[in-house]
Amino acid sequence: MIRDFLFFTSEALISIRRSGIMMIISIATITVSLIVFGIFLLISANISNLTNYFSSKLEIRVYLKDSTKQDEIDALKLRFEAMPAVRKVEFIEKAAAWAEFKKNYPKIELSTLVSDNPLPNAFRIGLSDSAKITSIATHLKGFEAVEDVGDMGAIADRITAFSRYTRIAGIILVSLLTFATLLIIVNTIRLTVIARQDEITIMQLVGATISFIRWPFIIEGLLIGIIGGVFAIVFLVFGYSFFVMRFQENIPFFPLVYDHMTLNLIYLGILLVGTSLGIFGAYLSVSRTVKNNY
Amino acid sequence: MIRVKNVRKVYPNGFVALDGIDLHISRNEFVYLVGQSGAGKSTLLNMLYKAETPTSGDIYIDNISLSGLAPKQVPYLRRSIGVIFQDYKLLPRRTVYENVAFALRVMHFSRFRIRRQVAQVLELVGLQQKMHNYPSELSGGEQQRICIARAIVNNPPVLLADEPTGSLDPDTSWEIMQLLSKINARQTTVIVATHNKAIVDDIRKRVVAVENGRIIRDEQLGLYNP
Repeated sequence: MIRDFLFFTSEALISIRRSGIMMIISIATITVSLIVFGIFLLISANISNLTNYFSSKLEIRVYLKDSTKQDEIDALKLRFEAMPAVRKVEFIEKAAAWAEFKKNYPKIELSTLVSDNPLPNAFRIGLSDSAKITSIATHLKGFEAVEDVGDMGAIADRITAFSRYTRIAGIILVSLLTFATLLIIVNTIRLTVIARQDEITIMQLVGATISFIRWPFIIEGLLIGIIGGVFAIVFLVFGYSFFVMRFQENIPFFPLVYDHMTLNLIYLGILLVGTSLGIFGAYLSVSRTVKNNY
Repeated sequence: MIRVKNVRKVYPNGFVALDGIDLHISRNEFVYLVGQSGAGKSTLLNMLYKAETPTSGDIYIDNISLSGLAPKQVPYLRRSIGVIFQDYKLLPRRTVYENVAFALRVMHFSRFRIRRQVAQVLELVGLQQKMHNYPSELSGGEQQRICIARAIVNNPPVLLADEPTGSLDPDTSWEIMQLLSKINARQTTVIVATHNKAIVDDIRKRVVAVENGRIIRDEQLGLYNP
């Protein structure tokens, strides 16, 4: 068993080493198609990150009547916090709001315009689901103590729609691209198998079993997949960190994906796609070639 | 040992390659299959190791019916039948040694036995000096010797040869046929399909003549032409 495995691996290595240009071309083809695939995964991760980012920035402001007492305010806060889709509730006292306003706009001589603090007490309510923003805002308006509600309904609706469409488009494009990558890799492996049709015929002639013929090719497909995947990942790691660096220099506040968790997941995905397609391609091509001969 | 019973072969395009073939070959016999190109010699030979299957009729090797053989068992049949070809069918990217050893590795021989048996067979065919060369570095006759070495390295009881001298000059052809006779003398049944008249008339053996898919003559120590 181990002897056979060593034999298959050595056969695969011999064949990779000796088929030279053919092997370089197939590894290059697989590398390039995995790079394209990876770039697309990165783009779609970034778009989804972007819409999440904007969704998380959406909030509702609830302005309270000046007559509202402190115990009523505390009660309201608890009720708001208990509502579904509410992520956090923050109370902004009118004095604090006034101080911040004055700090933000120091050039305006407010004291000449208004004598006293004109701002109301308010709540800032962050949501976990931006799609619900309009319905929650409407609900909040019904409270006795609420003077007015400021929501970002129009923007929220657009962001929600945008995130829905990009998600659908992303799924469609990733599936198409996966399919294209599959075709390219399977066909590339097929070419390496067809190039060695004679070898397969001779193996059959001297009494090799189907699995014996298949294994070296599967290991070869696996190796080609791994090599192509590793090259693609190296390219993407360097390319993407370079891109992130340049991008942050120019647009520092833009929320790009660069947490290791997501990126590693994408890179792992590329490696898995490469190797599994390598194996699958080899299996398929050898089976088809071998069948004609028994 | 080999019995061909009423075999008929019709190709999908309607061409009748063989019709009503009956043939019995005993252990350790040496048989020439003669006839023009397209007479059906190769088809008959291919059927003996199940590279082709008869449309009707059956072939028995050691009383085992080939038509009853599952695809999974075909590799084991082929291990008991060595085959050599006009175009040698060698692996170009492997050395002489590797080409011959290949057949034994396929049969799961140990490294030690592979080394010993390959060395023995290369000595038999006279190529031990060239075992690290690649086939392309050798002459046609030498390549045919590799092919023969590969076919007999595991001592199969049967050796089939399809036009083994088809691409060789007369002297080399003669050497190859001497080698086949030598192998026959080592208790191997040898069947040679050929249209090399000089050889058949010179090294006299049983002659089976095929014409238009039928056996028209079968005689011991025969000549190419009656």
